[in-house]
Amino acid sequence: MEIELGNYKGTSVIVLSGEIDMYTSPKLREKLLHLVKKEATPVIVDLSKVTYIDSSGIATFVESFKRMKSYEGKLQLVSIPDRVMNIFNFSKLDKVFEMYGSVEDALGE
Amino acid sequence: MIDNHKISDDCREISSKESPEIAVSEPYLKSLEKKVRDLETLIEVSSIISSTLDFTKLVAIFMEKAKTVMNAEACSLLLYNRETKKLEFEYAVSMERDTSGLLKKTISLNLGEGIAGWVAENLETVIVADASCDDRFFKGVDKIMDFCTTSLVAVPLVGRSGLIGVAEILNPRDRKSFCEYDADLFHALCRQISSAFENAKFYSESLQMEKVRQELEIASVLQKSFLPDSSVFKRGGLSVSAINIPADKVSGDIYDFVEPTEGKVGIFIGDVSGKGISAAMYMAKIISDFRYKARLMEAPDLVVDRLNSGLLNGPMGMFLTAVYLIADTKTGELKIVSAGHPPCLLISGGQVRVLEGHGGPPLGILRYDYSYDEETLYPGDRLILLTDGVFDAKNKAGVRLGFDNIIAFVGTLKEDGPILNKLVDYINNFSSGAEQVDDITLVELCRDV
Repeated sequence: MEIELGNYKGTSVIVLSGEIDMYTSPKLREKLLHLVKKEATPVIVDLSKVTYIDSSGIATFVESFKRMKSYEGKLQLVSIPDRVMNIFNFSKLDKVFEMYGSVEDALGE
Repeated sequence: MIDNHKISDDCREISSKESPEIAVSEPYLKSLEKKVRDLETLIEVSSIISSTLDFTKLVAIFMEKAKTVMNAEACSLLLYNRETKKLEFEYAVSMERDTSGLLKKTISLNLGEGIAGWVAENLETVIVADASCDDRFFKGVDKIMDFCTTSLVAVPLVGRSGLIGVAEILNPRDRKSFCEYDADLFHALCRQISSAFENAKFYSESLQMEKVRQELEIASVLQKSFLPDSSVFKRGGLSVSAINIPADKVSGDIYDFVEPTEGKVGIFIGDVSGKGISAAMYMAKIISDFRYKARLMEAPDLVVDRLNSGLLNGPMGMFLTAVYLIADTKTGELKIVSAGHPPCLLISGGQVRVLEGHGGPPLGILRYDYSYDEETLYPGDRLILLTDGVFDAKNKAGVRLGFDNIIAFVGTLKEDGPILNKLVDYINNFSSGAEQVDDITLVELCRDV
């Protein structure tokens, strides 16, 4: 998994690629929690280049999602490829995370 | 090897060839005697290092020996920490006082910092005749040790896997400064000890790994005790069987059978996020919570609601996907609650139906009012509950089996008998030669014909 940290018009955007699993998710956790610590909101995660996510990867998002609630922060997942969306749908995670087609959609542009 | 040509003024040997008689000067004799003693020490050190694999003991014996043979006031050993990329004091004795503890807590050196850091970076032995004139010298250690370094020899310890650390010997007692002969002798001693240190470290790590392996074995046995005593359960016209295959010694998957009231069978299957010990420990908490709640309440949606509430403060985002269903042993009526879990497969009249239902999110993430879907299991029907390890199984090419292939395979099974073992064979054939990446759990509920 590769992590690129970006910024779109002042909003933090994390661009991920590859597989997010129990071996790679600690790296993602570190980046996300760094932003959470700074009470960043929204935090946008671009999943367009992600090929697979397992439950450890999802738990990483869940942890940030829960922590962000304390300051009413928003975690937004964008550009989710079908294969990853299938995993999210299977797990009914559409009831948990905010999901958008693109960064622009997430920002309401 | 000790190089005879490198003996400096302080250690000079004097020989005489002028007389046909073998006339040997006293200093030369003394020098020879010293070399013999040094060689004896090298042999002794060699035997010492093969006598123990206890790293701490080995360090202490070796450094004391080195200090004695070099007739030095102080000695120290710094080990290279590969994680922090720093040199840390493992052993330090000055003027018969052990200062290791003090130095360990207060000082660590970056590569290139101080004489030891320079030696570690350049992997070269250094003789410092006058420390006060050497810019590389780091005064912080002297200050803490209340010591004044005048001269020193620092040798890099290098093993098969690279830098191990740096050994230093400080202030000769009988001379002003160390000479090249001293450096060669200390280097010869250190070369012997480097591989011994590496072996002792390897042995210590092996012991640790063995301990972890034993702990995992115990955890595995303990965890199995949380699962139902028998993987087969029969009540009235219903029979249930289950298979759990952990990817590691322990599993984050759960299944359980309960009897909430007479004439009802409760079946629970779950998958804790992550794998290994953390998932297994969380699984142990969940199974006891579930058993307690399933006994108190008959409605499966209420049980799942309460279970969810109890898991909302789970550590590090851990969650559980689960299905809890209650089956009537007489009528085959099912009440199924799904919490972010892969759908069940209903096999009826040779057709496979995926029970998508309108389940809720996984447990432990947010408050949610779960509700149940109703189905009926008719005589001869069967229901398969599974965890994602079943369809996430990878083959040697790294391709995942996929949920659709599971449905297709189940559709080909026309026989009446239990199908779990056939499913496991199918998964094993697919992933033959590849590592099992996730825990696999399957539960089959059949209604007698």
